[in-house]
Amino acid sequence: MIRALYSAASGMTAQQLNVDNIANNLANANTAGYKERRAQFQDLLYQNIVQPGAAASQQTTVPSGLQLGMGTRSSSNEIIFTQGNFSQTDNPLDIVIQGNGFFQVRRAQGDLAYTRDGSFQVDKDGNLVTSDGNVIEPQITIPSNAQSVTVAPDGTVSYMQPGQSVATKAGQIQIANFQNPAGLNSLGHNLYQPTDATGAATLGTPGGQEGLGTLLQGYTEQSNVSIVQEFINLIIAQRAYEANSKVVKAADDMYQQVNNLKQ
Amino acid sequence: MDNLGIAAASGLQSRMTSLDMLANNLANSNTVGFKSDREFYGTFASDDAQNGVDGGSGASLPVIQKQWTDFSPGTIETTGSPLDVAIAGKGFFVVSGPKGPLYTRAGHFKVMPNGELANDNGYAVRSPSGGNITIPAGKTINITKEGQVQADGAAIGQIDVVDFKSTEPLQKAGQSCFENSDPKNQTTQVTNPDLQQGKLEGSNVPVAYAAMRLVSIMRQFEMLQKAVGVSSEMDTKSITDVARVGN
Repeated sequence: MIRALYSAASGMTAQQLNVDNIANNLANANTAGYKERRAQFQDLLYQNIVQPGAAASQQTTVPSGLQLGMGTRSSSNEIIFTQGNFSQTDNPLDIVIQGNGFFQVRRAQGDLAYTRDGSFQVDKDGNLVTSDGNVIEPQITIPSNAQSVTVAPDGTVSYMQPGQSVATKAGQIQIANFQNPAGLNSLGHNLYQPTDATGAATLGTPGGQEGLGTLLQGYTEQSNVSIVQEFINLIIAQRAYEANSKVVKAADDMYQQVNNLKQ
Repeated sequence: MDNLGIAAASGLQSRMTSLDMLANNLANSNTVGFKSDREFYGTFASDDAQNGVDGGSGASLPVIQKQWTDFSPGTIETTGSPLDVAIAGKGFFVVSGPKGPLYTRAGHFKVMPNGELANDNGYAVRSPSGGNITIPAGKTINITKEGQVQADGAAIGQIDVVDFKSTEPLQKAGQSCFENSDPKNQTTQVTNPDLQQGKLEGSNVPVAYAAMRLVSIMRQFEMLQKAVGVSSEMDTKSITDVARVGN
């Protein structure tokens, strides 16, 4: 019976985490480049009360045993990298990746991070940076007198200078991909960091041979959170929490009755 | 104690086990690929009762003998993730556990750093030949209804789906996996498993039914508790009243 209390408590803990996860998804429903996370659960180990094949009497054996489960645990909340919707901004430095891949940026600490948020700006040195000031890697520098900046689907950035009729090439944006993007570590600020589970980043030109996506200028990628789906998940999580709390109550009531057996 | 008290106490004990099982089912009502457990009540017969001697104390008692796992399919939920696979028909995926093959219906797969397709715990998903499936990076993965894995349209492997002659010897190993406890219970290949990519099979715990079971277990427990009370009262009576000497 103590098992029932702990199993129900594990269910409540798991559902609490589920709600935490749903809350974060909903809070980021308007974050550009945000990818939703989905909580996954697994059952815990089982106690073998009766082993299958144990002797039931002198002649017979038990055909199948009695196993009691110990509840649930949350195993992971992986990132779901489905494409978000595009919203048109007409800002020449808003770039989306159509398909797989991440922009590679260098953080202030000096390490590399990856993002799907392509709302870029230009810093005081003319470098292409994210809204947090992380410089895109390899660097792209746009001079202050550049008039129109064009980003080609293959990542080539070019600009026109006053008095010139031919566009000047500033560089080519490279995008990265991973063997297992679901294993990326979220750093906040729309940034991801590779882990042992993702494998090393493979860098390539957009639309190249490695199955990378192509770039599109003048759009931002909205989050891929489906509000309807999140609300359905919220209802399910809340009801599951309630059901588990009922079990705690039932176990408690039964315990009370046991304690009252001896008057 | 008399027979009534012993039988009622045994009943109380088994209702407690029932609640343990129900608690585990409800705790896993959101676990992908989880199959709910049900208890199987039996009668414990003492040696005396088996040999036809009647009236021995506690000759036959209600006990929970074993549990059976309900292998009915759970609801199939759309996730949109290309490495989520649900089995719409019968069968199990085979993964390489630390102590041999494990069988699971939780088709929530991922790619390991070395490119192998594996389940949540990192156990490699097996192909019918017993080997693993390696997923190339950056390709569009397509999984057909028959279990063929394709990268950009080219076949790169096959997901093994097996079934058993009997599901009774399957024991739960935790982590939504089963192990086969009887080597004589051999696996058979499912030729057309009807795999659904981008979907997961949810838990098959019937929550409304479980709520009803919860009430029923509690009420039965209450009745049995009353029975123990009656039995104890009768004992008191026989000690204080029947056996009273003199006034």
